[in-house]
Order: sequence, then structure tokens, then C-alpha cells
Amino acid sequence: MMKEITIEPVTRIEGHLGIHATIDTESRRVKNAHAAGAMFRGLEIILRGREPSEAVLITQRACGVCPVPHAVASVIAVDQTYQASPPPMAVVIRNLVHGAEQLYDAEVGVINLEGPDYSEHAVKSFNPDWWDEAARTRAERSDIHGFRTIADIMRALNPMEGELYLRSLLVQKAGHNMAAIFGAKHPHVHSFVPGGVAKANLSPSDIESYLTLLMHHVAFTKELVTATDDLLDFVLAQGYDEVGKRPVNLASGGAFDDPDAYSAVYGEMTEWGRRRMVSPGMILNGELVTTDLLEINVGVREYTGSGWYSDDWEEEFKTDPAGKRISREHPWNKRTEPMPAEYGRWDDAYTWVTSPRWWNWKGDGRDHVIEVGPLARMWVTAKAGLVPASTGNSIRFELPEALVPGFKYSEAMEVEWKIPEWPNAVERVRARAYYHAYTAHCMLEMATRMLELMKAGKTGVWNEYKKPDEGIGYGVTEAMRGMVSHWCVMKHGVIHNYQYQAPTTWNASGRDADGRPGPYEEAIIDTPITEVGAPDGWKGIDIVRVVRSFDPCLGCAVHVYVGDKKKEHELLPFALPIK
Amino acid sequence: MTEELNLIWVEGQDCAGCTISLKQASNPTLIEVITGAIPGLDGLKLVYHPTLMFEWGEDASKVLVDAMDGKYDPFVLILEGAIPDETRAGNGVYCAIGEYEGRILKLNEVIDALSKRCAAAVAVGTCASYGGVVHGEPNPTGAKGLRDYLGEGWKGGLGLPLVCIPGCPPRPDNIVQALGHAVLAARGLAPPPALDELNRPDYLNTATAHEMCPICGYYSEGVDAHKFGETGCLGALGCKGIITHCNASKTWNDGYGGCTNTGAPCFGCADPNFPDPPVSPFFAKAPVTPFVTETLKGTLGHVKMGLERFKGRTI
Repeated sequence: MMKEITIEPVTRIEGHLGIHATIDTESRRVKNAHAAGAMFRGLEIILRGREPSEAVLITQRACGVCPVPHAVASVIAVDQTYQASPPPMAVVIRNLVHGAEQLYDAEVGVINLEGPDYSEHAVKSFNPDWWDEAARTRAERSDIHGFRTIADIMRALNPMEGELYLRSLLVQKAGHNMAAIFGAKHPHVHSFVPGGVAKANLSPSDIESYLTLLMHHVAFTKELVTATDDLLDFVLAQGYDEVGKRPVNLASGGAFDDPDAYSAVYGEMTEWGRRRMVSPGMILNGELVTTDLLEINVGVREYTGSGWYSDDWEEEFKTDPAGKRISREHPWNKRTEPMPAEYGRWDDAYTWVTSPRWWNWKGDGRDHVIEVGPLARMWVTAKAGLVPASTGNSIRFELPEALVPGFKYSEAMEVEWKIPEWPNAVERVRARAYYHAYTAHCMLEMATRMLELMKAGKTGVWNEYKKPDEGIGYGVTEAMRGMVSHWCVMKHGVIHNYQYQAPTTWNASGRDADGRPGPYEEAIIDTPITEVGAPDGWKGIDIVRVVRSFDPCLGCAVHVYVGDKKKEHELLPFALPIK
Repeated sequence: MTEELNLIWVEGQDCAGCTISLKQASNPTLIEVITGAIPGLDGLKLVYHPTLMFEWGEDASKVLVDAMDGKYDPFVLILEGAIPDETRAGNGVYCAIGEYEGRILKLNEVIDALSKRCAAAVAVGTCASYGGVVHGEPNPTGAKGLRDYLGEGWKGGLGLPLVCIPGCPPRPDNIVQALGHAVLAARGLAPPPALDELNRPDYLNTATAHEMCPICGYYSEGVDAHKFGETGCLGALGCKGIITHCNASKTWNDGYGGCTNTGAPCFGCADPNFPDPPVSPFFAKAPVTPFVTETLKGTLGHVKMGLERFKGRTI
């Protein structure tokens, strides 16, 4: 028998998402699935005709959960558009703000958004057979996280009352405060400007404040990764390895720039991209095909797919600034016009999310469905061998000793994340926890870089620039939930075309013109159903665990850009007048 | 324990940034509110919040449907995000927030129904208050804030007018404190919050970011910053603090950050016009008129204060 299930809204995510699935109740497998983005704002519409520098502020409003990666990708795109390279201290500050956000975001994702799906509350309701087993199973790493059994960890994840749930809410505050030290506020930081950052009176006391809060995360991450490992190993042992499984087609934009290498020059992205602390790269069928950001950019295609948009636009650019052929669907060419239509027509257009695909232009010449996220970037970084922690099949590093009151483990700890067999729901959550640890490690190093620059007297945070009349830029980095890319085209000193692809644009994408499902859909299709009870009463716990493992962020994913607008600008003294 | 009061937090055309801000609040923290640790703010039940609630799918939508039928009376309605004009979407939908028994729940229908029943209503953030970034020119979805959507004279079941907490997002403590005040007022434990003509609590938004600015002394002394990172008033770099009523210039949360305190100009994100003029272009100088007024007031003020200092001690 086939059972249809509609999950609208999917809660504990950012934004408005609905899932429509068909389950074969005999084989207990999902047969078909559609993901629908159900809210539309049109942020890019308001960008046209504005100063490109304003995009850095406006595009952050795509997402209040992960605004800083939008700010980073946007400011890189606008640095290039203005040809305004920042001084090294500004790059360090951007990294520190970015890392601060990743720390809060990982905790909230693993514990407060995804955690309740594995809590006592959920397990007793949906997988009661797990509960007795969990109560009997001793937690292997209890000397670090303090929970005796797996059931204790599950109890600590109970929403609004569990110990881990509440402590995570408390610790995550430190991430926002760290971001505010250099970003003025968070969410939506106000200090990122082309050519640098707006931070006055920079002093070592700023980095001391930052480090104080960072050490809370260093202490907490030891509990986070070990408790997550114990819990997820248990869940895997209950036969969960095929829940949310999909092929190894993964991408990372890389993150945390090297202050000595970063520049506002598009052609130099290959070099500085490879010097990022989180590596960029594209993995197709398990093979790392490139770590070159320019090659990744050239292959990006954004189809309207099953989105409520028109695909009628002109091809404006045939090549990128380096002369490589780009497609008509490349975001520098793409235009989107909304065409709202009836909700729930699954065989037609059914979502506000477009369908980005990656064109393997140097290889098989075909388009590929790509997943992004912490699992993807950890996978790429582990394989690429571009950073000291990368071993080829794992990421290994040490967290220092940190005796912070209120935390359970103060010793130094070696952390190693290993590439799993395939992507699935459990491994996505695990990678998010380990990325928390890796970010803490990276930010400790970045804090040292800041002090070195101060000692060398390189305290400038902004380079004055002369804004050109025309320009083009591509900025890319990693949000918590994956690769985020921004493309800017400036004409007559204002935005002519601005496009962004959020991680969820990739992950939540619907069917493309060839009928291929997007990553959420791929991961849900064929997922086994473990939920107990009669099929009529199924709530779809396995499906929401799959979807939440991607940490959806629909506010980001949904976008559009139409219309034309000219404005009179009163310009800054250092900017050229607009014709 | 105080009588139970339900909170229904609806997300419209939003980014969840106000929720993320609320989670940082310190005085009190969200944890202290949800665990009922604070007298007067205990007995609160957050029965619907899409980013925090355990339930999903039809179980979640049922809460809204039941609330429309009165099952959760009395409740405070909280909106995050703007409300689109669905008539522009034809037979499509700009903002669906749920599905119940095969029917889509559109944001505007839910707001229409809940605003008739709620004891009080609070708009969190500039989008929910006045439209915010979503209603930026040319406002593709016809988005509105709750103030325009409900009409200026709207009052909740307890006779309280709409409370708007602008900011993109508002400061964490602004949200939790203004919400807390609305709850105390709804329970008759405190006088209703005094609101200005834009429904903002006076104690949060009377002063401009300029008046609250920790470095506004530079303005008086005539020290301008002309480069980012320089010490001085940020007016020449585009600061809109002089026209924006906001208390985020001196600190963001727990004493960290703060827009001008950090060296970042105010971009007017708490202004009803955000992201359009006069607060944009963000990096262009604010309109001249308020500066002229400020200079006149400032000059007279300096003379008055100077003379005051020569007078004998009066207390």
C-alpha cells in the first residue's frame, strides 16, 4: 500500500519548507518525495540600481541564522567589483566574525534543532524499541561528556528542559557576542565594507575578550563531539545507515582566508582559495575533481527547474573574466522572474527554490546534483591535503587544555573526524558537531594571527579605493549549512545584476529539466521507515530527521530579481559620481 | 504561579534573525523565561514557534487552527517577518506557513483570524513592524508590517494597542523586555507600555542612535572619521544615527559590540523606512536638515550649559 504524507511546515529549521512524500508501507521505504519552499520575498529585486556595497548589508537579511557567510561572500564579490583589496588585519577580522557565527550555529543546529529528533521525547514516541536498548548501553566517552548511558544523552536533548538543550542555548550566546566584538551586532553584522572592515579603536583587549568567549566553546566542543559520537554511533547501530543516503557528489567553497594571500583579484582565487583553512573543492562520485575556485565557478548553473519562475533571459556574458566559457545558466547571466502558481502540483512547478547544478565542464560535460554542508566541506578538506589537519581520509587536530568553570572536561584533546562510507542523516549531524571543533581550532590560530599583525604594526583595517564605473565579482565561502556564492555585476556605478546562491538553494532544489530530484529529495527517496505504529498515524520522523540533517535555511534559498530602478545617490567623498 | 498565558509566535516573510536575537537575551535569558523562573513571567506557554517547537507538519498546523477556534485563549500574538499581499500572487502563494487537512494555511489568513482573538499583539523586528527589508523598493510582494496591516487604531482583546519592537533584528534585551512588559500589562500586573506614534515603546526608542551614541562627543568637537577604522564621528561615512530611533549604538548585548561603538555607522535598520531613503543609500551622508537642527540646538545647548556651570550651586 502507498501512503502519502505531507509535512508542512517542517519546523526547527529556518524558513518555510514543505515535504510531500509517498511511502510504500509494505517495504517501509519512501518511494517518492518533493521539497517545496513556500515563502518568497524578492530580496534581489531591491538590490538592482543600488550601490554594490549595500548588497553586503541587504543580502545578510536573507538569513538571520547564517548572515555572516552572506556578508563574507558578498564583500568578496564587491571587493572584486570595486577592485578594493583589504589589508590583512581586515581579513583576520572577517574570519573571526565568520568563525564566531559558525560556533553558535553548529551548537544550535546539532542540539536545539536536530537534537530533539533523537531526544527521549522523540525516541519513546517513535522508536520505543530503541529506548530500552539505549538505557542499557553505556556511553563510551562518558569520562568526557559525563552522561552514563545513551538514554541519558537522549534525555539531555529533551526540548526546553534537557541539560544539553539548555546548556547549548546558554553557550551559543558567546558566539553572538564574539561576532559583535568585531561586527557591531549579530545577527546582521554592520562592519563589513568593501576594502576592509569598519572597526575603530582596535586593540589587544578586543582579542582578549574574543578569546575568553572562544574558550567557552573550546570547552563545550569536547562534550559536544563526544556526546554526539556516542549518540550517533548508537543510532547507526539501530540500522540507520541508509536513512538519508545519497551519492557522494559534494561541494565546498572553502572558508577562512589567509590574510597574507587574499586579494580582490578574481584571477588569483585559485591560489588564495587553496590557502583557506577549510578547503574548496568538488567531489563527483567520491572523487575530488578540483580544488580550484575558478573551475568551480565556471561550472555553476542555476536552472529554474521546478521553481515558480520564468527562464526567459539573454546570455550577457560568454566567458568569465579569465576567458573561460560560462553557460547561459551561469549566475552572471541568469535572470529570474517570479511566476507564482498553485501550491501542491507536484508534477509541475512546485517550489520557490531554483535548481542549481554543477556542470563538469572539464570532465564528462554533464550536470551533477550537488550536496553542500558541513559533511561536504569536511570531506573535501580531509581529501584535499591542503591544510595541516588534513590526512587524506580524515581531519586531525588538537584542542588545547581549557579549564573553564561550568564545563566538564578541561584536558587537551585530540580530535579526528574520518570520512564516512557515504552521506546519510547521521553523518551530516556528526560532521556539524566536528565542524564546531574544527572552527574553534581555526579561530584559535586566527587570534594568534591578529596579535602577530598587531606586533608588526599592521593594524590598518581598511584600504581607500577609487570605485570604478564598471565591475564584476564572485564571492564564495561556507555557511554552516554549506557553500554560499554571490555574483555581482556593476554598470554605471550601480548594481546591474546581483545573484546569490545559498547552500539551501543547492540542497532544497526541486526536479530539474531532466526530472532529476534535488539533494533533499534524493536523500528522502528510498529512505527506510523505522517509525512504529500503524501507517495511518505516521508522522514522518525518519523523513524530518533526513531533512533536518541538512539544517535547512529556506529564507536564504528563495530569491528572485526583476525590475529596474535608478536612484539619485549622495556619494561618499571617495567614490566616483554615477553617470 | 501566575495564570497560564499562551504565546503564539508566527513567522511570516522573515529570516528568523529576530528569533536568533531573542535567544541571546540576557536580562532575562530565554531559558529563564521558558523555565518560568521569573515571577510575573511564569506560566507562559510558547505553544507555537516554528523554529523552536518540537511538533511538525499537521501537528504544528493544528495548533494554529485550534488557536483560531479559541482553544488557546488567552494568547499573545507575536509576529516576526512581513505580510505579503497575496492578491498579487494570483493563484500562487507568497507565504504559506502550514497545511491542514489538505488545505494550505496562508500567513495573511492566519493573521486575520488570530488578530481578532488575541489578548495583545507584538510585532518583533522592522519587517513585522513596518515591512522592513521585504518592503524595500519596489516591494515585489506588496509586503506590509503588522501596523499597516491591522490599521493604526487596532487594539487587542485587552484593549492594548499593537507593540512594535523595530530593529533588524532588535537588540536581544529589547525583544525580551518589551515582550515581558506586554505580558505583564496583559496580566494587569503593570501599566501598559507608553508607546510613541509608531507604536514603539518610549523607553526603548525615544532617543536617537545619535543621542545614545557613545562617541557623539566627537560630533560636538567637530572630529570626523573619513576612513573606516579612524577615530571620530561616523557621519561622513554614512551614519544615520541622527535620524534613527534606536538604542543599539552603544552596545549590542552583554556590553559587547554596538554599532557606532564598534566603528560601524548606523544604517538605520530600526527606521520604518529601512532599507529605503532617507536611511539609504547606506554609505551616503544622512539628510542635511537634522544636522542643521542639531547644530542649532547644540550651539544653544552649549551656551546654556556653559552659563549653567557659572551659576551658584542650587541644591
